[in-house]
Amino acid sequence: MAMNRRAFLKVSSATGAALLVTGRPVPEGAQERGGPSGAADERWVPNVCLQCPAACGILVKVVDGRAVKIEGNPVHPINEGRLCPKGHIGLQLLYDPDRIKGPLKRVGERGEGKWETIGWDQAIGIVAKRLGELRGRGEPHTVVFMGGRYRGQMHALFGRFMQAYGTPNDVGHSSICADGSPIAHYLTQGIKSYLGYDWDNTNYILCFGGSFLEAWRPTTRLLRAYGHIRRERPVRGKLVHVDTRFSVTAAKADEWLAIRPGTDGALALGIAHVIVAEELYDKAFVAEHTFGFDDWVDDKTGAPHTGFKRLVLQDYPPPQVAEITGIPEATIVRIAREFAATRPAVAAGERGSSMQANGIFNRMAIHSLNALVGSIDAPGGVIVQRGPHFSDWPKLEPDPVAKAGLGMPRVDHAGTARFPLAGKVYQHMPEIFAGAGPYPVKALFLYYTNPLFSSPDIGRFYETIKRVPFIVDFTPFMSETAEYADLILPDHTYLERWQDDVIYPSLGYPVVGLRQPVVKPLYDTMNTGDALIKIARRMGGSVAQAFPWKNMEEVLKFRFKRIWEEGEGNLKAGSFEEFWAKLGREGVWYKKGYAFGEWDKVLRTPSKKFEFYSIALKKKLDELALKEVEKAREGGKESTPDAELEKILKGLKLTARGDGLYLPHYEPIRHVGDPKRYPLLLNTYKLITHAEGRGANAPWMLERLGVHVKQRWESWAELNPDTARELGIRDGDLIWIESSVGKLRTNAKLYPGARPDVVNIPFTLGHRAYGRYAKGRGANPNWILANEYDYLGGTAAFFSTRVRVSRA
Amino acid sequence: MRWGMVIDLDKCTACQSCAVACKTENNVPFATPEQSERGHTIFWMDILTRVWGEYPRTKARFIPRPCMQCDSPPCVQVCPVGATYRRPDGIVAQNYDRCIGCKYCMVACPYGARSFNMGRPEEPETFRNYANPDGRVARRRVGIVEKCTFCFQRVDTAVARARAEGRPIKDGEVRTACAQTCTGGAIAFGDLDDPMSRVARLAESPRAFRLLDELGTKPKVLYLMEG
Repeated sequence: MAMNRRAFLKVSSATGAALLVTGRPVPEGAQERGGPSGAADERWVPNVCLQCPAACGILVKVVDGRAVKIEGNPVHPINEGRLCPKGHIGLQLLYDPDRIKGPLKRVGERGEGKWETIGWDQAIGIVAKRLGELRGRGEPHTVVFMGGRYRGQMHALFGRFMQAYGTPNDVGHSSICADGSPIAHYLTQGIKSYLGYDWDNTNYILCFGGSFLEAWRPTTRLLRAYGHIRRERPVRGKLVHVDTRFSVTAAKADEWLAIRPGTDGALALGIAHVIVAEELYDKAFVAEHTFGFDDWVDDKTGAPHTGFKRLVLQDYPPPQVAEITGIPEATIVRIAREFAATRPAVAAGERGSSMQANGIFNRMAIHSLNALVGSIDAPGGVIVQRGPHFSDWPKLEPDPVAKAGLGMPRVDHAGTARFPLAGKVYQHMPEIFAGAGPYPVKALFLYYTNPLFSSPDIGRFYETIKRVPFIVDFTPFMSETAEYADLILPDHTYLERWQDDVIYPSLGYPVVGLRQPVVKPLYDTMNTGDALIKIARRMGGSVAQAFPWKNMEEVLKFRFKRIWEEGEGNLKAGSFEEFWAKLGREGVWYKKGYAFGEWDKVLRTPSKKFEFYSIALKKKLDELALKEVEKAREGGKESTPDAELEKILKGLKLTARGDGLYLPHYEPIRHVGDPKRYPLLLNTYKLITHAEGRGANAPWMLERLGVHVKQRWESWAELNPDTARELGIRDGDLIWIESSVGKLRTNAKLYPGARPDVVNIPFTLGHRAYGRYAKGRGANPNWILANEYDYLGGTAAFFSTRVRVSRA
Repeated sequence: MRWGMVIDLDKCTACQSCAVACKTENNVPFATPEQSERGHTIFWMDILTRVWGEYPRTKARFIPRPCMQCDSPPCVQVCPVGATYRRPDGIVAQNYDRCIGCKYCMVACPYGARSFNMGRPEEPETFRNYANPDGRVARRRVGIVEKCTFCFQRVDTAVARARAEGRPIKDGEVRTACAQTCTGGAIAFGDLDDPMSRVARLAESPRAFRLLDELGTKPKVLYLMEG
């Protein structure tokens, strides 16, 4: 697949610099390192990074069967040869001394760490038998799949398994990730997904709570775009960053707006107020492509409705917004004028605004600024990611048992009156394990997710996960959750396996990269795709029939066939074999070019417009209210939709009523904990070295953990120096941070970037497992985070916990 | 030929990828928590951080710091054994066999660019697999001083190839590991003597400055101011 050094040198001397132009994946500067290693076998093998979901192309230098260097793949459009710091640590994960080296069966108590090494055949047999028994009893729906970093075909493959097997319980992790944004996009654009941004061509970025240079995705793409807009074009782009904490992004931004936590939506609406009041908005776009801007009268009922314009003019004048957000009135007015006058301008936001108790409406408010200035599907604005055209999966015929299972309600209450817009509610699972669900969980499968580390108020998971009688984890590393499993079927690391990876929404046009074994698997591990296929085949019947492929490589070839047939993009080939060989050499297929103005793909709401007023939200809540009326009627009680809606809204802890509810608005932020007992607010954040929860076992990251506070290897809590002085805390002191759900101990870091009323703790450390470098090091704020929700979307509110701080 | 580097702080994202790429390229060991605590970290490329001001008027600056490759290098002047020397192409190099570990050079360097190998790196056997097998960057022994070499192994290989092909080396043909991975595209590397090179042109920018220029060390690493 990959090119050996001799062949490469031959080509390189013949074609010289043209190599990069023709797209052969030779890293710039690779030649000079062809040097005197004296190795007979020296190659650069394309692969795709898995340190975050960006899916950056990488080239791995392999010398005598050992992976020795990772560089960005210059032909991969998302990272163009560059890599963020996390990209390099693939080597330390591949060669992690504490990897799981083969299938394990638990022999001790849960969490005790006593295992028996078993063979793959036996392991697959145990799983197939257990799953078969549950199906035999008509209980396939009691099987739950909790998954995290599904990439490429993996989610569809798992989904197919669940369909064939018969469980609706696909509980992904996005409700603890950043679901607030996709849900806000769904309400306004009808697209439940992250959106792309044409960063390279924008002149003004107004970013709310998304760490552009540290934690937002796709990392390297954002970093690359930052460099580009600063100095690689005639106009230097401006970045205005809204954040509670003085982050690296805040430091590098042209302007930092130090906002009161959880009030981003109000600020966005204050900005909207100025833009509307001063008539600075894009009137043509608003008239042609939006719904609910002006007041309107319902065609059928003749009822008058309030539009976005009236709402922001009435409710969000700058003085009031200044009061809520702490951002001075003059600043709000100035930023609004700048934002509207600088075209193209784009408003974006991520977890700091979206994963709040009021996150979805915050994000709706922020996103509505893009509609106001016509930055929806426009150069320099928001774009909609298109995917590659994979071959359709073969039709799947669930048998009657599977059909019955699929017909059961989801176990996590997603989509019910409790969490109306949720697709899944990951962090709700402890209550479900404890028996609060519609039925018990009898088997749990975990794929690239670690709830015993990553969920708010983790103690709940520790208490209840033991009640699940059968737990299987596919992790290559001994995570906290894996320690509670009955069976571990360890995956290869990403440098050892076949897998594809479609880029995170960003560039707009379709890009898919290929993972292939860079080195032979080091241990007795198995590609989880292969394992899943083997389990299905062992089960026989309709489940086996749903998987006519021998292994993951066959699945990939099947799915890529249509891309070859369509004959578009960078890889043209006469035969599929040729296409596949080219894909292996280049590491990526893409079809450049973004077609603006395909409104049917961009605006998929009921009105086919950008909805300031969300018809989908109204419809969903009305449906749920009607269902409740029916339920009441079945219980012999009379009720009205209005009364039931009121009950639902109270349950969702929403304050807005009437039209305001369906428009972007500011819901007052909710906190957990008595402000007298817990005077400070806990803010968690992600470092660039964090690798989204999976970097704590890589010394190269731990050694450079927090660049802004010069911290290595250890956790810290950032305190404002004045706050610390009042509490008698000095820099480096050990301190307790206590919330209503628990307390943790870590070192105080006096940091002038910390808000006086907020304590900042980064995620990454505090593992109880995960190998020698991670285990027993630092503090995990998830132990003290209250499990608060934005109930509307079932999303975790990560910034709602009140705490108090004292010297330890 | 005078190799130099220009780091545009306006494009720098403070991501630290340069520092990590340098480690993997040059076999620079990581320091364990205990070694880190004692200050025994080794970073040929480090990020200098300064945060100041009061909330919400907080400010910060992040400066990637390789060896400045001074044209008038104080380290060379003080080295009693000639282990540190300036190559004709301007790279301040180090002969590890000659180094006696006296650390005079570390005291003399105003940039803190030099590190002493205090103890044996502590790493598991499995990590040896990813060592760069290029003999020129073989891991340094305990008791000697090391620092950034402008990835001379990349430079030398590229120069030798150009020579073998009977042509001058092209601008951008060779990049240090930090420049190669630099996410913001902030790090440029090339020949300062070639007026057409990217680094030479960037060095003329009104935003250009050198660290501690007043000391007369004549660094060949230049920075471009933010904003």
